Amino acid sequence: MTLIGDLVEILGPDRVLSEPLERYLYGTDGGVARGEVIVVVLPETASEVSDVVIAAKRHGSPIVPRGAGTGLAGGAAPAVPSVVVSLTNMKNIEIDLGNRTAWVGPGVINLDLSKLTRSSGFHFAPDPSSQSACTIGGNVANNSGGPHCLAEGTTTSHVLAVEIVTADGEIVLLGGPAPDPIGLDLRSVVVGSEGLLGIITRTLVKLTPNPLDVRTILAGFATMEDAVATSSGIVARGVVPAALEIMDQKMTRAVENFVGAGFPTDAAAILLAEVAGHPAAVEAEARLVEQVANENHVTSLRVAADGVERAKLWLGRKSAFGAVAQLAPDYYLHDTVVPRTQLVATMQKIYEIAERHDVLMLNVFHAGDGNLHPLVAFDASVEGQLDIVHAAMEEVARVCIEAGGALSGEHGIGLEKRDLMPLLYNEADLDAQARLREAFDPDGLFNPQKVLPAGSRCADLGRPLPTGAWL
Amino acid sequence: MTIAAVFASYVRPAVADSGLPECDLMVAPQTIDELEHILDLASEHQLKAVIWGGGTHQGIGGRIDPDLLIATSQLNRLIDWQPEDFTVTVEAGMRVSDLEEMLADRGQMAVLPELPGAATIGGVMAAGVSGWRRARYGPTRDRVLEVDLVTGDGRRVRAGGRVVKNVTGFDLPRLAVGSYGSLGVIAQACLKLWPEPSTKVTVSVADGDRALATAYRPTAVVESDGVAKVYLGGTEAEVDGQVEALDGTVVPGWSWEPEPTGVVGWSLRVPPASTRSAIERLPSGWRYQAGLGVGEIKAASVDAEGAAELRAWAESQGGALVIVSGPAGLYSDMDPWGTPPPGLDLQRELIRRFDPCRVVNPGRLPGGI
Repeated sequence: MTLIGDLVEILGPDRVLSEPLERYLYGTDGGVARGEVIVVVLPETASEVSDVVIAAKRHGSPIVPRGAGTGLAGGAAPAVPSVVVSLTNMKNIEIDLGNRTAWVGPGVINLDLSKLTRSSGFHFAPDPSSQSACTIGGNVANNSGGPHCLAEGTTTSHVLAVEIVTADGEIVLLGGPAPDPIGLDLRSVVVGSEGLLGIITRTLVKLTPNPLDVRTILAGFATMEDAVATSSGIVARGVVPAALEIMDQKMTRAVENFVGAGFPTDAAAILLAEVAGHPAAVEAEARLVEQVANENHVTSLRVAADGVERAKLWLGRKSAFGAVAQLAPDYYLHDTVVPRTQLVATMQKIYEIAERHDVLMLNVFHAGDGNLHPLVAFDASVEGQLDIVHAAMEEVARVCIEAGGALSGEHGIGLEKRDLMPLLYNEADLDAQARLREAFDPDGLFNPQKVLPAGSRCADLGRPLPTGAWL
Repeated sequence: MTIAAVFASYVRPAVADSGLPECDLMVAPQTIDELEHILDLASEHQLKAVIWGGGTHQGIGGRIDPDLLIATSQLNRLIDWQPEDFTVTVEAGMRVSDLEEMLADRGQMAVLPELPGAATIGGVMAAGVSGWRRARYGPTRDRVLEVDLVTGDGRRVRAGGRVVKNVTGFDLPRLAVGSYGSLGVIAQACLKLWPEPSTKVTVSVADGDRALATAYRPTAVVESDGVAKVYLGGTEAEVDGQVEALDGTVVPGWSWEPEPTGVVGWSLRVPPASTRSAIERLPSGWRYQAGLGVGEIKAASVDAEGAAELRAWAESQGGALVIVSGPAGLYSDMDPWGTPPPGLDLQRELIRRFDPCRVVNPGRLPGGI
C-alpha cells in the first residue's frame, strides 16, 4: 500500500490532506523558508500519532511535527520532502487547581489556557507575542518565551511532564506531577528540541497565580542609550519587574500607525515596564522604575490608568511584527541574546550593519533579559534582496556572539540559524548535541536537517560505542 | 605499568585528609584538562569511578565499588562573575556556601540549598537537589545557564551560554542536573542569579497550610515536625503587609531549620496538593521537613519499617520515595529509587553515547543504569 493509503487507513480520508494547495499551505511557518510536503495528517490521539510515525517510518518518509506554524526560524518548514503532522486538533485540557497544573494537548492555543483559568486566579506564564495563535505544543517544542518570562522564566520552567511519541512509535511519559522525577531528566531536553526528539502529545504545565496588582509604565527617551540604561538600572537595583521591553523609533512609529497604542512617536526609544505582584511591592517598584527613568533623562512618562489602557499598550508591543507589513511585504529577524551589559554597544553595531547593507532595520526587544529582535523589512520578490538580508543578519549574529551572547533566546534555531551554530559551539560541542539527537532518533526521522548543521556528528571523537548488549 | 602509576601524576596529598571513603586510587585534578585526561585514561582501563564533591549526597542511588575516586576539591575557581548581568560562572568543586557568601557581598544569591554544609556546586547539580526557596524561585535546574561537562570518555563539551535566556541547541545544562555523572562530570557551570530581597523575615505560624493559602507567593513555607515557618522576601512594605495577615511570631532574616537526621534519610516527593496527606502517612517516629506547596519532604527514621507501603502510595500519586542515606545493608534490601521511570531505554542510549565505557558512577541511577 502507498504511504497515503496507509495514513487514510489510520485517520480516515478527512484528516489526511494531500491536495496541492493543502500541501503548499503547510510548507512554511511564519518565517521565510519553504519546504516540500508529501502529505499533511491531523491526528487526534497519541495512539494515532504513534500509528502515523510507524507508517511513515515504514515508508522511509521523514516527519515534521507542527503546531500553528507561527515560528519564525523555519522549524516547521520541511527541509526535505516530509509528512507533516499537524497537532492542532489535539486540544484537550484537564485543569488541576489543587496542584496548580493542567494537562494540555499540543494543539491548545496559549492564550486559551490563560483565559480558561483566569476566573480561578491563574494563568500560563509564557506569553509569546503570538499567544493568541500559537499552540502550547509549539511553545514546548521551542521553549518559547515572551515579555513576561523575565520574572517567571521561559516555557521550560513551566513544564512538569511531557508525553512524547518516539521515533519507534512508542508513547512515553517523561517527568510527572511530583518535584524532581527520578532518573535522567529527559523532559528537559524534549522542551526546546524543535521536533527533533519526539512528537509531543501531551504536556503537564504549571499554572501561575495572577498578580494581585499590576502597573504598566510607558517611558520615552531621547536616545536608545538612556532607554537601555533605565532597563539595566532597574534590574541592577535588585528589582526584577514582570516585563521590560524596548522599541526603537522606527518600530514605535510603525506600531503607532498600526494600532494607535498611544506610544510617543517623537522618542528615539520607548521602554514598556511592568511591575506586578503584591500591591505594596508594585507601589514601591513602580516608584523605583520612575526614579531610574528620571535619572536617565526620561522625556515622557505615563502609567496606564486601568486595564483597558494597559491592554492597549501590550497590544502595541505584541503587534510589532505585524505592523511591519505596512513598510514591506516580508520581514526577517533574529532573536539573539546578549548579556544585559552589552546591550548598548551591541545595538550600536547592529545599526551600523544595517546602514552598511542599506536595509530597513527596526528593533523591538526584551531588554530585561537581553533578548534582541533586530528585524529587517524587505521585499522578497525583488531579486537579490533576501541574499542581502541574510548577509546583514549573519553579521548581526556574529556581533551578538562576540559580545558573549547566544543565537536564539526564544524562537529556536530551526533552519534559519542552523548553519550559524559553529559560531557558538566547537566540534565537540556540536557532536554532543548530535549524539543526544541520535540517542532519541538514530535514523533522523523527526524534522531532519534542522538545528544541527551537516557533519555535526563526528565519528572521530571519543571512544567507539560498544556493540551488543550492555549492562 | 600499574594503574596507580598511570594516574600517579594526579594523586594529590590534599585528597587524603578530606574525609573521603576508602578507595585504592584517589585523584584530584587541578584543571579541567587534567579531568579530561583522567577520564580518558579511566575509559581506556575500563575503571569504575566515583566523583566526589563535598560528599553530602553520596548516599543517593545505587552503590558502587569504585576503582577510582575523582575529587573535584581543586576545581573550585571563580571563572567569571558579572554582577550587572546577574550571572556567575564557577568550577564545579566550589562550595555552595563559599559562592553564596561571595554573592551576598553584592546583594545577590544563587538560590541553592540553604544549609549546604560542604556541598559543592557540581554536587548539588549532579544530585539535582534544590533549596526550599524553590517554592518561589524554581528548582536548581532553573538556575543553570551553561555547563561544561567532561564526558565519561574524556571529552570536554559545552552547552548553553552565559546569558539569562537561551534556546540555542538542546538543553544539556538542564539535563545535567540530576544526572549523577552519567553523562560525564560537571566541570564548570554558569548560574543565573537573583537579587537578594531588601527585606527578609521568617514567621512561625500555627497552621502551615493556612499560611500557604494566605501569603501571596511566599519565598517558602516549611514545616518541620509539626512546626511551620513562612519565609517572606521583598520590599519592606510588601513584607510588612504580608506579616500582618499571617498572625505569627516574626524574626528578621531567613532562619532555616537543619534537616532531620537519623539512621536512614529519605526524600519523599509527591504532587504539591498531596503534601499534607504524605506527612500524615509517614510511619510513626519519622521526623520530617516538608516544603508546603512544593511536594518535597525530607525525612529521617531509625529503620525502614513502613517505607515500602509509603513508597507504593507515593508512586501511585506520581511521586517517589528515595533513600538519601542509610546503612549499607538497606540498599540490598530495598531499591534506593523504587520503580524506575518510563523511558529507560532512551536514558541508556543517551548514556552510552556520552560514557561508552560506563566509567562514571555506573549503576547509580534508577534501573541500575
